[in-house]
Amino acid sequence: MGANVYSTIRELSDGIRRKMISPVELTETSLERLEEIGPRYNAVVTVTRERAISEAEKAEDEIRSGTYRGPLHGVPYGVKDLLATSGGIPTSWGAAPLKNQIFQKDATVITKLREAGAILTAKLAMIEFAGGMGYRQPHATFTGPPRNPWDPETWTGGSSSGSGAAVSAGLVPFAIGSETWGSILSPANNCGVAGLRPTYGRVSRAGAMALSYTLDKLGPLCLTADDCGLVLEAISGSDPEDPSATQRPYSYEVTQRNFRLAIIKDGTEGIDEEIGANFQAALDTLSKFATIEDVEFPDLPYEAITRVILSAEAASAHEEFIESGKMSELTAPEDHYGAYPRMVVLAKDYIRATRLRAKMARAADEAMSGFDAVVAPTSRRVASPIVEEFRRTSPGTSRDVMGAVGNGAGLPSISVPSGFTEAGLPTGIQFMGRAYAENTIIAVAKRYQENTDWHRRHPADTTP
Amino acid sequence: MSKENNESGYLFSIIKERYGDRLSEDELAEVKKGVDRIVEAAEKLREVRLENGDEPFFVFRPYRGDD
Repeated sequence: MGANVYSTIRELSDGIRRKMISPVELTETSLERLEEIGPRYNAVVTVTRERAISEAEKAEDEIRSGTYRGPLHGVPYGVKDLLATSGGIPTSWGAAPLKNQIFQKDATVITKLREAGAILTAKLAMIEFAGGMGYRQPHATFTGPPRNPWDPETWTGGSSSGSGAAVSAGLVPFAIGSETWGSILSPANNCGVAGLRPTYGRVSRAGAMALSYTLDKLGPLCLTADDCGLVLEAISGSDPEDPSATQRPYSYEVTQRNFRLAIIKDGTEGIDEEIGANFQAALDTLSKFATIEDVEFPDLPYEAITRVILSAEAASAHEEFIESGKMSELTAPEDHYGAYPRMVVLAKDYIRATRLRAKMARAADEAMSGFDAVVAPTSRRVASPIVEEFRRTSPGTSRDVMGAVGNGAGLPSISVPSGFTEAGLPTGIQFMGRAYAENTIIAVAKRYQENTDWHRRHPADTTP
Repeated sequence: MSKENNESGYLFSIIKERYGDRLSEDELAEVKKGVDRIVEAAEKLREVRLENGDEPFFVFRPYRGDD
């Protein structure tokens, strides 16, 4: 087979393994597109050309000589620019005052991907401090407002903005993003790609900028749910440098069976009409291989629990930067002051939130225990215009029960495209599972994608 | 002024005291709104009854390097 810029990892790896696709040529294509098309969407911070060519030549030599490392061997990828890179490649965290920040060591995820034979071609754009300073509109990074390949006048979602745009525009076959609350699912939704938020601790956070120590997760954005499984297997696992990384082993296995799904009762009230219609159509598709029932979560202040934890931990994580006064050098005007309120979260309220978190986690697990996944629209709103404040009901904002429970309790969720609006903007559907149930939610999403073709549609301007 | 507004006001005054010289009046007004939201969230947490044995969802483990 020959590769095209929208070949999945599964397809690429098949061609690479059979020596019909050259990792060097594949990498050259990715680098050229990152350099030529990336700026159109403000998707890229640094193209890592020299490192990429070196890694690609090594991969090609290994594969030619019969050493094949697995499905990511020879496959290019990009990472959100909050993952540390060695070799003098800057790691900006999306923040102008830190645009020349240098680390001596690669993040664990990058090390694991290198060991899997993947090729780092770019550090991708992100919202400054992963949104931790309180941004309210897309122009909140020094690389410019992240533009959506489906319509550059709309937002990619964030904070893993470049990761979403780069996969959507065919610049890389996959990218790594991070989510504290909404930052993988939001760009997956807006950019029409698959995004997997793993269980908290499934993937080591070592070398990643900390926003919230007990909420941060790293995960892949890919063209398909199946590809997300392939990447997760490579990046998961314990790590002595991250005590929160789980000892539980993970290997991606595809499950073929019928599923039992739940929707949160009254959970779709007030969503955009077109999103509701696409969600209903998705439920019709899912009903071919799944039962769907209502589920009720007990009455707890989910958003407040996760919000207070995030606020207190973010204030501590970035106390030095906040105290320095350098917030005034950030791009978004609201980020000049947005972190100050967090400096006065009372310790007893933070502890109370963590006590309620235990109740929330048990309640969510109990409610979900009879189901393979809870299904919901990924976002209640379509991608907002690039020049406007995004609405408060996007993932990661205050009225997002799925996001609050999922992130607060550390549960995995995967988003895949569920259709388009009349204006041609993607909508997404998410499947949230119990802790460590990544294989189950990937299997549901994969089965859904086998019954739909939304993931095979790509933005017109980027198609070669 | 209600009790919760007092709390918000006191907390805001700490921020104003520590960082007020960096912030314009408009920015301070936005910071006050942010403090209001945090106090509002905290109030919601305080409305839920907890028992003494409802522990935080993290476990402290004493460290020993050779373990």
